[in-house]
Amino acid sequence: MKKKSNKPKSITENGEREAPFRLLLAVLLSALAAGLGYAVLSLPSPPPGLSSHVAANLETSGVSNPVTAVLLNFRGYDTLLELGVLLLALLGVWSLGVAPEHHEPPPGPVLDMLTRLLAPLLILVAGYLLWVGAHAPGGAFQAGSVLAAAGVLLLLTGWRPGAGFSGLPLRITLAAGLGVFVVVGVVLMLLGGRLLEYPPSFAGALILLIEAAATLSIGTTLAALFLGGRPEAGPRR
Amino acid sequence: MPWLHWGVIAIVLPLAGAMSCFLWPRRAIPLGLVTALGIVTCVAGLGWQLVEQGAQRYAVGGWGAPLGIDLYADGLSLLMLMATAAVGLGVSIYSIGYFNREKARYFWPLWMFLWAALNALFLSADIFNLYVTLELLGLAAVALVALAGGAEALTGAMRYLLVSLLGSLFYLLGVALLYHSFGSVDIAILAARVESSPAVWAAVGLISAGLLLKTALFPLHFWLPSTHASAPAPVSALLSALVVKASFYILLRLWLEIFPPTSAVLGQLLALLGATAVLWGGLQALRQTRLKMLIAYSTVAQLGYLFLAFPLASITGWTGALYMLLSHAVAKTAIFMAAGNILYFGGHDRIADLDRVVQRLPLTVTAFALAGASIMGLPPSGGFIAKWLLLEAAIRSGQWWWGGILILGGLLSAAWVFKVVGYAFTRSRAPHESRAVPVGMEWSALAMSMVAILLGLFASWPLALMEIGLPFGGKGAE
Repeated sequence: MKKKSNKPKSITENGEREAPFRLLLAVLLSALAAGLGYAVLSLPSPPPGLSSHVAANLETSGVSNPVTAVLLNFRGYDTLLELGVLLLALLGVWSLGVAPEHHEPPPGPVLDMLTRLLAPLLILVAGYLLWVGAHAPGGAFQAGSVLAAAGVLLLLTGWRPGAGFSGLPLRITLAAGLGVFVVVGVVLMLLGGRLLEYPPSFAGALILLIEAAATLSIGTTLAALFLGGRPEAGPRR
Repeated sequence: MPWLHWGVIAIVLPLAGAMSCFLWPRRAIPLGLVTALGIVTCVAGLGWQLVEQGAQRYAVGGWGAPLGIDLYADGLSLLMLMATAAVGLGVSIYSIGYFNREKARYFWPLWMFLWAALNALFLSADIFNLYVTLELLGLAAVALVALAGGAEALTGAMRYLLVSLLGSLFYLLGVALLYHSFGSVDIAILAARVESSPAVWAAVGLISAGLLLKTALFPLHFWLPSTHASAPAPVSALLSALVVKASFYILLRLWLEIFPPTSAVLGQLLALLGATAVLWGGLQALRQTRLKMLIAYSTVAQLGYLFLAFPLASITGWTGALYMLLSHAVAKTAIFMAAGNILYFGGHDRIADLDRVVQRLPLTVTAFALAGASIMGLPPSGGFIAKWLLLEAAIRSGQWWWGGILILGGLLSAAWVFKVVGYAFTRSRAPHESRAVPVGMEWSALAMSMVAILLGLFASWPLALMEIGLPFGGKGAE
């Protein structure tokens, strides 16, 4: 493992001296792959997992889709931090500079027609995926990705958020997912539970609330990442 | 009030702070400072709680392991949180003067995210949750490095991003192997179930390799000097003081609890690499002509000391390594702040052109020298206590040669500290332009160096806190 990580140094070597390094690298990587393959094959089968625990507690989780139950309830804290990662990624991109100015050619008739048709449809699909996540495959991340696709399509046709939206309203939309998650967690704590300890009778509603905000934020974040920088600070007011 | 868990607030508060700084960037500085003070209060509250009630386990969502995620706080996590709080408060005050308005808009939310990631990492008892915190930590750190702007910083940030992701993926693969073998990602449950098998050894190798890459142990340190040197000064301080220590903390935790006890050969190897790091980093530091590069190489050397405890495997040894970690964190913060002041003042950090900086920035040079004394390991400083403990553990276990490394490393550090301080007194050939350094930046550097010295004078407090929950004691650590 140690030797393998010398890789970056060998890349800087030029010319004929590179060949032996590459050979060495290939040998080491094959050894690593073989070792890992052996380790994976030696794993117990069937693997001891947590599916029985999940099934036993699904009743009280508020949803009947085990994936959503794990993501938003049993291991909701991981998802809360992941939403932080998403916002952080956007923040990192914004800190690098203003979005490059692209002068998109006006969309052709096909793109124009298609966008007019697809954008509302995608928003509808996103809403459906969000709702269906409670009992079937779906949920905030899938819905958010579809919403982002609608956003990217609109951006491709040259649409840009208006000056009224690109300030605080945009930032609120971006932070809503993490914000609602944190607020729900803390309010439950203030009411006497633990962080993110949903009362079983409200669990379904709370998960839907969190997922709705997360969908909006995920969609907006991914579409905003597509712009490649922060929106230009327009003339104030 | 059993529901009021200070540790949880210490995670949630910086997240809330990050979001408020993001939403209202023009008020980022006051919002960030209030959050920083809040976090320091929470860590103090958690310390009080641990002293009163002993180590604490907290089931997020009320599920409990293995289904849910547990948080766990003992003396080891508490001291990491306290070091983070001390360094964090210092850096927060320092950065008020350092960043202009435009940079501050992004520095504060990124820094709050970094702080949240660190607190969440030190409190986590779940190896997958640790991966998530590593992601949060890595992304925040990369973005903060890039904040300096310019080709050098962007290259450094890009290299750091790739290294960080590679390390995380190695770690994640190891986590997957462990989960598949034992059906849990909770550290305590894994510790009870773990037994030697090819998959476990592969996991130990993958996790160690990933974390060592992030910790920059020789020879995986190749990315550290340029990244740490090109970042803005407060960020360099955070990276050297805390971010590299976070991955070390995970390695230490897993080593103490999960990894099979038969990994003695691996322990010797880690110490050998650590010893090489001490010597190589020290020699490279002496060769540098730029101050921040020198300090970054010194971090490579100081990280080496932490690994000397692995073959000793005694409570004294681990305590010494942890004390080294703490005193290096505060001392290196002070030194990077001092370097930042010098750079701010003269516009450059060429060591040979320091030009009697001692007359212009007396507080800064004092901070540099005091923190340097702790890095060298002179009494009465935190560094001295740490080296003393490590030396004692080395001699008691019959492996006195590691003690020789401690002394050689101290001499190398002394050489570069005296070299820099010497140039700070001498007149350079050409006079330089200069601008005034904000008072807060000078005093926060001095305050951090005073903490490094106080760690030596009041060593009994942190040493007593370290014993909560017996993190190094085996049976008591759950």
